[in-house]
Amino acid sequence: MPSALPGQTPSRSLRKGVGWGQVVATINPSRVSPWSAQEGSLRLGVPALDAALQGGLGLGALHEFAPASELQLGSAFGFGLAIAGLAAAGDRTRAAQVLCIATDYAALEAGAPYGLGLDGFGLSMDRLLILRVAHPRDALWAFEEALKCRALTAVLAELPEAGDAADLTATRRLSLAAQASGGLGLLLRHRPYPLPSAAMTRWQIAAALSQPDRFGGLGGPRFDLSLHRNRRGRCGRWIADWNHDERNFVPQALSLGMAAAAHDRPDRAQPLRRTA
Amino acid sequence: MTDRIARSRSGAPPEQAPLVVAQPVKTALALAAMNDAAARLGLRTGMALADAKAMYPTLAVADAGPEADRILLEAIADWCDRYTPLVGLDPPDGLILDITGCAHLFGGEAAFCADIVQRLGRQGLAARAAIADTVGCAWAVARFGANFSPPPQRAIACDRHEGTAVQTPSPRSPSGRSRPSTTGYGEGRGEGVPQAQTRGEAPSPGASRRPLPASGERWRMRHRSATCDCPAVAGRGKQASYAIVPPGGVREALLPLRLAALRIAPDIEAALGQAGLKCITDVIDRPRAPLAARFGADFIRRIDQAVGRDDEPITPRLPVPSYVAERRFAEPILLEADVLRTTELLAQELARMLERRGEGARRLQVALFRTDGKVHRSEVGTGAPLRDPARMRTLFAERLAAVGEACDPGFGFDVVRLSALATERCDPVQTGLAAPDHAAELAHLVDRLGARFGLRRVTRPVPQDSHIPEFAVAAVAAHCDRPRPFIPAQKPARKLSNDPHPLVLAEAGTQSFPQPGQSWVPGSAPVQETSISIRGSVSEGILRSDRIPAYERVKELPHPLIPADAGIQTLPNCTDVYGAKAGSPRPRGRAGGETRPSSVSFTGTCAGMSGDGDSFTSSPAEIQADSLCPPRPIRLFGRPEPIEAIAEVPDGPPVRFRWRRVLHQVAHAEGPERIAMEWWRDQNGRALTRDYFRVESREGVRVWLYREGLYGRELMEPRWFLHGLFA
Repeated sequence: MPSALPGQTPSRSLRKGVGWGQVVATINPSRVSPWSAQEGSLRLGVPALDAALQGGLGLGALHEFAPASELQLGSAFGFGLAIAGLAAAGDRTRAAQVLCIATDYAALEAGAPYGLGLDGFGLSMDRLLILRVAHPRDALWAFEEALKCRALTAVLAELPEAGDAADLTATRRLSLAAQASGGLGLLLRHRPYPLPSAAMTRWQIAAALSQPDRFGGLGGPRFDLSLHRNRRGRCGRWIADWNHDERNFVPQALSLGMAAAAHDRPDRAQPLRRTA
Repeated sequence: MTDRIARSRSGAPPEQAPLVVAQPVKTALALAAMNDAAARLGLRTGMALADAKAMYPTLAVADAGPEADRILLEAIADWCDRYTPLVGLDPPDGLILDITGCAHLFGGEAAFCADIVQRLGRQGLAARAAIADTVGCAWAVARFGANFSPPPQRAIACDRHEGTAVQTPSPRSPSGRSRPSTTGYGEGRGEGVPQAQTRGEAPSPGASRRPLPASGERWRMRHRSATCDCPAVAGRGKQASYAIVPPGGVREALLPLRLAALRIAPDIEAALGQAGLKCITDVIDRPRAPLAARFGADFIRRIDQAVGRDDEPITPRLPVPSYVAERRFAEPILLEADVLRTTELLAQELARMLERRGEGARRLQVALFRTDGKVHRSEVGTGAPLRDPARMRTLFAERLAAVGEACDPGFGFDVVRLSALATERCDPVQTGLAAPDHAAELAHLVDRLGARFGLRRVTRPVPQDSHIPEFAVAAVAAHCDRPRPFIPAQKPARKLSNDPHPLVLAEAGTQSFPQPGQSWVPGSAPVQETSISIRGSVSEGILRSDRIPAYERVKELPHPLIPADAGIQTLPNCTDVYGAKAGSPRPRGRAGGETRPSSVSFTGTCAGMSGDGDSFTSSPAEIQADSLCPPRPIRLFGRPEPIEAIAEVPDGPPVRFRWRRVLHQVAHAEGPERIAMEWWRDQNGRALTRDYFRVESREGVRVWLYREGLYGRELMEPRWFLHGLFA
């Protein structure tokens, strides 16, 4: 195994024992597929995550998010907002506008984006456009049109349920549209979608228990990020806090049982030492 | 009416069958209209239906439908837009068209009238048209003109302002050349029986004219079936379906007509008739003063309007667009591509017109006139003044795609008209060679999305001056130029004298807050709580610490968004608030109903309270800074979801709650943040105070809950709701 990449946590090599199996050995950057040769990447500020993404989340591509369970939708949406906010903050060439597309049903089922709460993610209200459509088909149409528009930094579309309308063909179209214009497409499904998709990365987001702040109140949001598909590199799982004031991710150690405890195995046998 | 009924029936028109329309008059049914076949039987409008049925038991009767008649009339008016943009309604059965400068486009006035009547005839509507210098004259000639073979009823007056007119009788007309003219058409077909001869009353003075019918007949319906009985009359149907009063001939045209042609009430006409005055010629040259004294100024005004001494404007049904480009086709077009291509060609014309005036379009409308008379209008709005024909075409392509099947071409469109309903100044912009114009591109995207889904669906959140979460942000249509926060226009009239405790800070359970100069014991809050008027700027740290006095906390933890001196400045106000709560005299600065209408309170203490009188005019930045401080969820439910929650103490945070049938154990809770309803919007005083909690479950799910109603004071069993999701 090659040595750990700079910036990676020492515990990374332990992840091989985690149950979901997508964790693979570190890939030699020189042998990485041409996907890593994308011009633009958005650094998320979590070194291990950025390394897995070969420098950051690819711009000009489609990324998919889904909450691990339907109750975690707030976290998944928050992670999408955080990425959009980071992209808008770092955008120097575009109008730094973000479009949120939601179907009526999605808004009815899981609430609508609330302008006052988005400021902590770097999306002030004058940066945000919200489009409500009636049907997922319309949402996909608007998504593609918006991705083609070079003035928008990021487009965040959400589809209710598993978002079956966004199948492989649709996500391929969206990816091509994003690739042509260099925009950032974020697709939020309300439930994980089991079928293949053309998105560059696919994430499952869950909320993690936050660290109370110094006054004993609720801390900032903490995300449990599972990268299930990554065209640029390996997958993995990370935990990161979002700092509302600094507006960045703060990496946290993955405090999980990394390897199964050895219960019924005897302790390592001591080498026999012959005594004279 | 009978035309409408006949049109609604499929198959061949019932030529011979007598049909009457009955409507209730007082307590009995009376005949409101009838077709020619029924008229030939001797029936009259106004006759009781029972009498008619007694005479002809097989008579077909239909119910009157004033609403359907009105809709039909509006549809016809819509269709008449193809002739002139100035179409006014003259209910129940008339239209008034201002055709100044329009007639020559159709080959003259005669051809114009013939075209209208012929096209309406093809749609199954019998019409009469009259063109004259004044509305009154055209109205009179269309309905009572003797050169129509049957007396027209339900005439639709088409008023003509003939720009090329030689003279105008209207002294008020500024141009001196305008010639209002009226065309009338009604459901009575031009080729009817000379009914008046059979009645023989009120002979017309004009020798060449046919006798006029009795007054009771004038609303009677004619139908095309009449032509069968009277072929000689039918032969000249074309010429009888419209009348044109030559310019300057208003007076001569009016003279022989009956007084009812002046649009006067029947009782005035009857009274004049008793005096022997039956025709307009009898009254038009009479001394005006006695007539006005006896019959009112309205009668004189009607005469003046008819002869053009008084001005009578036409109220157009639709706004008259500033710029119009249209194209007519000999062969109707059917394909969407053709429509869009035509739209683009029209847009090029429109762009030239707009460019000449230095303007751009903000609202555009395409009207597609179907050959069978239906008009389809689609409208698009733009966020910025638009002049680019290709973009106009794109917008309409989206619009037509969104409309889909609703825009049925039928047998094709023969007129396509593009009009700019609203325009704005549009100065030329210097475009760069390298840098793309992102603002314009974004505006165009918004326009396209708006054209596809409706402009109200593309929104921007805009902060509002309210602390109630669902009203604190409004979705403002993104195409609006510059969204501004909504500031309530009217100040609440609040009677402070009757309200001993207008300002109450929320007490937070068992915590006590030492205040400068005042100690406050929880539980001593008054029961009657109307509003909490604090514009708070509270950092998170302040919210949670309960041991340090407010001013010290502010000093200790300066929030980046609060000016450093905010807490210190507001200390006197803090004292005022608590003083008022404890029953001490109200500080003068708040008296007189000037309290700021924001109602929020925080668990801890509040810094940055302002009690200034004119705080209604708070700037958007203030509102935003105001709303930044307490944490707000990223998703908000439009309708808060009821949950079951269990709290240890009645007004404490929840310990566990059940949302959508899943039980969540609360790991951390923060709150309450008390938000009182705005009493000045609450009509019946039922709105309950809410205590909001930020709650994190053991799975890490963070939600925003609230308890509605203060325990023991407003409700004995407060209910819980989930209002939003945090990240």
